[in-house]
Amino acid sequence: MSQGQASIPSQPRAKQLRACLLCSIIQTPADFRKYGCPNCEEIMQMKGYPDRIQACTTTHFDGVIAVIDPERSWVATWQRIKTYVRGMYGVRVKGRVPEDVEAELEARGIRYRPRDQSEQD
Amino acid sequence: MSDFEGDPNIGGAPDEENEEVEEEYEEEQDERPRKGSRKDYDDAEEDEEDEEEAEEEDPGVERGKKRRRTKRPAVNRFIDDEAEVDEDEDEEEDADEYARDDFVVEPEEDDLAQRAARHARFDRQERELDDQDLAKIAENLNQRYKRTAKRFTSDAELPQRMLMPSVEDPSLWQVRVRPGKERDLVFSLMRKALDLEFSNRPLQIFSTFQRDSLPGMIYVEAHSAKQVADACNGLVGVYPSRGIVLVPIDEMASLLQIKKQDLTVTPGSWVRIKRGKYQGDLAQVMDVTENGEEVGLKFIPRIDLNPKDDASLDQLGKKRKKGPTGLSSFSMRPPQRFFNYEEVVKVYGRKGVSKRNQVYVFQNDTYRDGFIEKDFRLTALQLDDVNPTLDEITRFTHGQDGTETDANVDLSIIAEASRKAAISVLQPGDHVEVFEGEQAGVHGTVHSIEQDIVSIQPVGMDLEGHRIQLPARSVRKRFKPGDHVKVMTGQNSDETGLVVSVIDNVVTFLSDMSMQEVSVFSKDLREAAEVGTGTNVVGNYELHDLVQLDLQTVGVIFKTERDSFRVLDQNGQVRLVQPHQISMRRDSNRAIATDAEGHELRVNDNVKEIDGEGRKGRVLHTYQSFFAFLHNRDYNENGGVFVTRARSLVSLAPKGNAMKLGATDLSKMNPAMTGGAGGMVGSGNIGRGPRDRLIGVTVTVTKGPNKGYIGTIKDTNGPIARVELVTGNKVISIEKVKLMRRNQNGALEPLEGSNTMGPPRGGFGGAGGHTPNPYAGNGGRTPAWGQAGRTPNPYADGGKTPRWGQTPGWGDKTPAWGGTTPFHSGDKTPAWGQGRTPNPYTQNQPKTPRWDGSARSPNNPAKSPDRPSGHETPRRGWGSNDWEDVSFIDNPNGFRRPGDEATSPAANPYTGAPTPGVHDLYNDFRTPNITTSMVTPGPSAGDFSNASNAPFELSDQWLLETEFSSQRGMLVEVRGSFGPTGWFNGDYEGKLGIVNSIFDTQSPNFAATANVRFLEPLDPAKPALQVPVEVLKPVKPEKYGTEVLILHGPHKGQQARVNMVEAGGLMVVTTKQFTVDELSADKLVVVRPVD
Repeated sequence: MSQGQASIPSQPRAKQLRACLLCSIIQTPADFRKYGCPNCEEIMQMKGYPDRIQACTTTHFDGVIAVIDPERSWVATWQRIKTYVRGMYGVRVKGRVPEDVEAELEARGIRYRPRDQSEQD
Repeated sequence: MSDFEGDPNIGGAPDEENEEVEEEYEEEQDERPRKGSRKDYDDAEEDEEDEEEAEEEDPGVERGKKRRRTKRPAVNRFIDDEAEVDEDEDEEEDADEYARDDFVVEPEEDDLAQRAARHARFDRQERELDDQDLAKIAENLNQRYKRTAKRFTSDAELPQRMLMPSVEDPSLWQVRVRPGKERDLVFSLMRKALDLEFSNRPLQIFSTFQRDSLPGMIYVEAHSAKQVADACNGLVGVYPSRGIVLVPIDEMASLLQIKKQDLTVTPGSWVRIKRGKYQGDLAQVMDVTENGEEVGLKFIPRIDLNPKDDASLDQLGKKRKKGPTGLSSFSMRPPQRFFNYEEVVKVYGRKGVSKRNQVYVFQNDTYRDGFIEKDFRLTALQLDDVNPTLDEITRFTHGQDGTETDANVDLSIIAEASRKAAISVLQPGDHVEVFEGEQAGVHGTVHSIEQDIVSIQPVGMDLEGHRIQLPARSVRKRFKPGDHVKVMTGQNSDETGLVVSVIDNVVTFLSDMSMQEVSVFSKDLREAAEVGTGTNVVGNYELHDLVQLDLQTVGVIFKTERDSFRVLDQNGQVRLVQPHQISMRRDSNRAIATDAEGHELRVNDNVKEIDGEGRKGRVLHTYQSFFAFLHNRDYNENGGVFVTRARSLVSLAPKGNAMKLGATDLSKMNPAMTGGAGGMVGSGNIGRGPRDRLIGVTVTVTKGPNKGYIGTIKDTNGPIARVELVTGNKVISIEKVKLMRRNQNGALEPLEGSNTMGPPRGGFGGAGGHTPNPYAGNGGRTPAWGQAGRTPNPYADGGKTPRWGQTPGWGDKTPAWGGTTPFHSGDKTPAWGQGRTPNPYTQNQPKTPRWDGSARSPNNPAKSPDRPSGHETPRRGWGSNDWEDVSFIDNPNGFRRPGDEATSPAANPYTGAPTPGVHDLYNDFRTPNITTSMVTPGPSAGDFSNASNAPFELSDQWLLETEFSSQRGMLVEVRGSFGPTGWFNGDYEGKLGIVNSIFDTQSPNFAATANVRFLEPLDPAKPALQVPVEVLKPVKPEKYGTEVLILHGPHKGQQARVNMVEAGGLMVVTTKQFTVDELSADKLVVVRPVD
């Protein structure tokens, strides 16, 4: 699983980097369009849908994590991205996923935790 | 689990639901472009491409796959719903109910046979489980999870605290990096890790991260510092040498939890716009895009109803290129005004505005009900500290036509925001009332406050005597009509007044200052007995002063706050200014501008705008004959002060004297002489500040590899100067000591020796031309002037000439120098011939020699000693334009001094130089930055305790007193050198000299001596001699403007300057510490710069 790997944006300065609202991975809009979200494409279905990307990702994130070894990294554990691919992740991502995704998550019995650290337990 | 795979019913429900969800998607997708019209996707083209791509892909296949994958809610596999079946039949119903829930999907079949089969299966499983060993179970579980890998998973179930780091986890290491490079480095580390992954030395770090709120550091997760160092090795911008610090385990989590102040916007809340035309304006949020990046705002538009011709042409014909229409010479932002179709059409034409449904579209903005509706990025908005004022809110509520619109403004939102603040504004002793909760209606005084709990001492009712504790937000300050209150915060702060009405938390009071009703929130008020009075003056500036803010900007103070001002500058911008940001106050009492009809426009005229909004007002100030600052109490904005063009004003009252030519000075009518030019030059000088006067000087390098080269100083920095060499057009940095000033005639002089040299600008035509250097005023206190006089320098005049040119500006625009220079405040010689400044130059240089009686002067001036009191003379120069009249010249100062020639004819060989003109200039310029212009640093405050009122008797050995022994430059006269104890047989008796140094032998056997440079030595080869201190007597100052040393009194030993000479030889002196003292002349000694 962890051998998967997201595409790493080439220009870290780029303003338009976007973070997925569900798994907090950071990619360029172009990558989101081409490959979708490497972790949650199945549920977000952003590939090829710019509007969907607009809704499911955001430029409002704070802090960047380079996750090199997600399974053994405590940071990844803490961020709950242990099971995801390697790549760049946002520490804090502002916003919530669209309601349909939330409903879908609920339907699957997955608890949705927004990435904005608004919920702490 | 595989049992369910074949069951067609399972997952049926979710499938349907999925369909629905997808339909919703479709709908949304349709909606999106509609809304998208307000959004600007930067990549619209690419979007199209992508749509094509999407079409190319076979959606059926693609989606079908997905659908299959998402057939069942994943949770079913984790929930052992069979267990319930094993229970009582009664619970079956419950289970059915669960089934209706989406969470657990129960197959909807009541086939008993099937159920029985399942029961059997379950029993079998149970038995198998019992048989299996635990390891196998674990393996099974493991496999089960492995299978889920491809699905979206989330480990969201564990509470965060369970994820706290343990000792087995890798550690976090803090690494210092170059600020601003944090994110780049995190990315670099990621790429590096991927690159080296399969090399023989892969990076052994697990992750690395950066937080925006922690600049200059990144955190790397690894087991040891060495691994971190290895990883960072070779990366630019990482400073491993500054330490790789282990983050304590209990701080690891908080690094990732840092939260910026979370600012959320909700529809209905208030924000302020940060930039652009609407900067600072209040706006209300209408909607927020789903990702929260953009918000739709509604606010009061600012439409320019007097557009420049360009702008309107743009609208019509598009013939001209679209320029920065708002940046025409006189850009002012239009006032807030509701959109009015008729008005706008009148100005911009019918084409400019189109109407769609209920909405007008004008210049790509939509207007509804008079408000503009516009999308803004969140970053362009100020979300905190919005503090909408009541005025602003009321404007919103009343809407376009002044009628209350249907409460689209929710006052409770402000109230809520106010309440948050309320906690911090309560103080013990405040009178409060409870407005919500059980105790509503109770009022009393605050006894104590602990965080957000206040305990109050109720007044009245049966609660009296008990203290009750309440949350701070459910109490508010209580005022009743008749209370005298003071506003503590907000735009009305420091206003005081009498409360006239209280409605909920809005208190209306009658201001003591403006006598107008002011409504404020009660939280901003305190009871106060004081009456707001002196608030109009802060520092040296007061309300409605015209102040210079920087080189280009002047403004009028329209509001004074506790320690700052609100200033409206000539561009119509409002600035918050601290007193120290103001370089000086300007005076426009004598400034004259021309109004629209060509009449004279003066301060205090009542005028009216002829275009624009037709505002009326009283002229407070004019600036550069172009801008007029007006004041009208009836306008609320900016305290009634506004700025407009003088040319667009007409006088309200016709002026009878407008064209009385006889009485009016024609030169004032001439804008070239009075207005812009003069003022401009003057202001330019003021703003320039202390520029190094070495810049621009032509020098010769006298040492080092570049010796002999000639160049010009371009910049100086401490002892280093940057010199542009003439040869090779090279700029070199070189110590100033290696440079010599090169005069026009090729002579070399020490660079910084302006003490011995001619005036800094004097020798230099070019330099003098481009810097009418205020500091040339220094010349007045240096012997420079004297020398210039003695050796008439053909270039000296040339150098100074430019200054004359600007003088009229000074004279006409700013007569009251005394006022503008606090240093000189109370100057009783106002307007000393500002217009006459040129005169002293020409006049005094020749005059100087005359004073010292050496008759070396080539042309003794036509100065008539019997000219009547100069005090009055300069006045004549004022109104008339005879300031140019060189023949009308005298040195009023010289004659004001009572009987000076008689007492000491040779007293002041140089004092011709410090003419009033020079000194006025000097002082004025010096004010902004006194210290830099000081030639001799004032001695440290001496011993003040020796002040006595006893009659002053200077001791013979006065030079040896501690206050003076370290001083230099005192002008002394040799007296008592005859006789046996004398010195040089009295040859030097009566001669004047300047003390270079004092040598105190500390012994009665050896006479203490002073090294004195004589002004007219007997032996020209030896100008300086050692003289016994006993024969040296101080030379009294006689003239206004003389530099002196105080011999007696509390300021003993300090340097000062004579500001005024009064009858009886009393002199008013100002020390370098800016204390003013009145001393008789014999307690002072003239000081000359020592070379």
